[in-house]
Amino acid sequence: MVNTNIILAGVGGQGLVMTTKIIAEAAYLSGLDVKTNDVVGLSQRGGKVWGSVRLGEKVFSPNVRPGEVDILLGFEALEGRRFRKELKKDSSVAIVNKYQMVPTLVQQGKEEYATDIEEELNKYAGKLIYEDFTQKAVELGNKAAANIVLLGACSVYVKDIPEEKWVESIVKSVPPKFVELNKEAFALGRKLAK
Amino acid sequence: MSKKEILSGNQSIARGFYEAGGGVATAYPGSPTVEVIETMKEYHEDIYSEFSMNEKVALEVGIGACYGGLRTMVTMKHVGVNICMDPLMSFTQSPVDAGFMLVTGDDPGMASSQNEQDNRILGKFANMPIFDPSDSQDAKDFVIKGLELSEEYKTPVMLRITSRICHARSTVELGEREEHMGPKFEPDPSKYCMLPPHTFKHQYTMKERIEKLQERANDLEINKLEEKGSDVLVITSGICYYNFKEVCPDVDVFKLGMVYPLPIDKIKKLSEKYSKIIVIEEMMPFIENELKLHGIDCVGKEFFSFTGELHSEVIEEGLVKLGVIKERQLKDTSKDDTTARGPLFCAGCPHRPVFDILKKAKVNVIGDIGCYTMGLLYPWEVLNANISMGSSLGIIKGMRLAMDKQGDDQKPIVGVIGDGTFFHSGLPGFANLKYQLTGEENITMIVLDNATTAMTGGQPTGESYHMDNMGQDMSVEDIIRTMGYDDIQRVDQFNYKEAKKAIVDATKRKGVSVIITTRPCALRYKIKETPFEVDPSICIGCKTCIKTNCPPLRMKKYEGFDKEKSSIDPNQCVGCGICAQVCPVGAIKRKKESK
Repeated sequence: MVNTNIILAGVGGQGLVMTTKIIAEAAYLSGLDVKTNDVVGLSQRGGKVWGSVRLGEKVFSPNVRPGEVDILLGFEALEGRRFRKELKKDSSVAIVNKYQMVPTLVQQGKEEYATDIEEELNKYAGKLIYEDFTQKAVELGNKAAANIVLLGACSVYVKDIPEEKWVESIVKSVPPKFVELNKEAFALGRKLAK
Repeated sequence: MSKKEILSGNQSIARGFYEAGGGVATAYPGSPTVEVIETMKEYHEDIYSEFSMNEKVALEVGIGACYGGLRTMVTMKHVGVNICMDPLMSFTQSPVDAGFMLVTGDDPGMASSQNEQDNRILGKFANMPIFDPSDSQDAKDFVIKGLELSEEYKTPVMLRITSRICHARSTVELGEREEHMGPKFEPDPSKYCMLPPHTFKHQYTMKERIEKLQERANDLEINKLEEKGSDVLVITSGICYYNFKEVCPDVDVFKLGMVYPLPIDKIKKLSEKYSKIIVIEEMMPFIENELKLHGIDCVGKEFFSFTGELHSEVIEEGLVKLGVIKERQLKDTSKDDTTARGPLFCAGCPHRPVFDILKKAKVNVIGDIGCYTMGLLYPWEVLNANISMGSSLGIIKGMRLAMDKQGDDQKPIVGVIGDGTFFHSGLPGFANLKYQLTGEENITMIVLDNATTAMTGGQPTGESYHMDNMGQDMSVEDIIRTMGYDDIQRVDQFNYKEAKKAIVDATKRKGVSVIITTRPCALRYKIKETPFEVDPSICIGCKTCIKTNCPPLRMKKYEGFDKEKSSIDPNQCVGCGICAQVCPVGAIKRKKESK
């Protein structure tokens, strides 16, 4: 079995750590070896954050080697673009949130927010799913569920984890009163990805 | 079947301490180790844990618990050990009966730290054995093993972890808690009173126990030799082990669980068998130098970076130079050509108006350590010096003296410090600032009291108990007043105009004036009010609001207007209203409640 390498990229406060945990738990429930890596600390204050999950039969390092990303989960458009060159050519999937959060340099008018995101992602990813996942979550009733909509989309491309293990992991990880919302968010994500 | 869970390194350390029958755990919060004590709260029925006011106090509470017979853990970030170095250097002379472990989180690559010190050096300096785990399972196992060895050899031990290990998750086999109780405290000055002549014999005690451990290291099960039949041997530990396995699985490797003292005899014997010994370690050439000190020929740092993390691609590069790997498989990490995104004050952060005022006032500001350290980043660039926790108070005094002597006695100087840092190490600084001055020197200290240790995720400070209504009031204002300061003002910085007047006036006064800003951390106290919105027909596009750097603000094109106007993302706005207060034309208003 070949390992599946996932990179999560976004902005501090978007729930990357939680998402990483849910993927790891789903992998574990499916009998796979799994290691993850979160970058936290200072960047939690609106800076760029990223994490990785590697799952398969035997995983050594939690880090994904450059150019070996199977799935890129971009929680924010620009942050998705940042990691595009890490994608495995042709066979990879990029699932990127169109929602924009402006970095300081753009806000202050020093630089432009990239306008070539879709085009650039298409250059490197085998398949691209580019949607406003935050807007989808707002429509469901809570913008914070955007990460689970993304996760739903991601789940379609992780062949080694069955759907019910994803749901089991979500139920274990989110507060009880948000379980239904998150289940809906997950189902919506799966629909968007197919 | 044994129970398994996916845990981060930090969670595993807490779990290990629980299983080892730990009694008292103390800490000062600092990335990357914060989560250890946060996890410890899950075991509160068995383990007393606290975030102490600083690392020195945390260690001292730990020393007391250990002397009293409880297995003890004290955790902190790498620079935190500097704060407790004074008691540590004397404490490690004690022959301890109950297990004692100091956990230090090193930060190769400085993901969120002010320097890259390698605390293995401090561990050796303090005569402590040092353990270095490679993943979460190791982290848990080494806590248990370390505490056992601590008692067997009557020595405090160090668990050195790195950011990567702290935050990485992997499966961990869980065990049951085994209750553990050491002997009750029996007064014995020769063991517990570190003063000559008692300390003379402890120089020998420390030397002997390290020598015994060096002997023991040769058959210590957490030092593992993996033989694949290669003619070179790699010696490594920590995350480097797994990063190495990624690129070179078929080379013999000696994975060290205990990196000080080293299994010198074993490595000497091995060195006869191999054509070359290669040491792979992050930051300083610690293992390499130890081996060389013992006359063992090896190579290391000349092939691997002296700074930052040794990712697989960095290790591969070194191994190609060494001829162990024929050619590179991994490409260099591609250059980041996407707009940089640095950290910034959160939406609704109470520090924002203060830094907006200071920037406009164009005064010399001395910084300190906390979220407000971000005041040195673009677009603020307000802070002119930033060294370590609590240092703003000393620095401001010295710089005032220098400015006065150079004829700049009319220029104001302002220092900023948070309440967490105030309690951590600001207290002696405040005391020192008060006495020995003539009273004529113009100094303004702003205490940014947000009632939490915000940077590390909202751990309590002396003030939080007050905010959380826990009946343990400890007010910054009362403390400073008791020290003899009388020019003290409490300010609501969300009342922008009044705050501005108070701060600017204070910078013009002689003597030490103290401003205490009173709005709590927006993140810790989850502040969310009705968001604000921009009326594009009033907005003149002057960007005054944009300059406050609040995340939901940006300039955008509105239909029907040529010029770009300001806008607010309602998904991010928490309704603090600072943008509305700095707007010169009243274009920003609170949204009407939509029901």
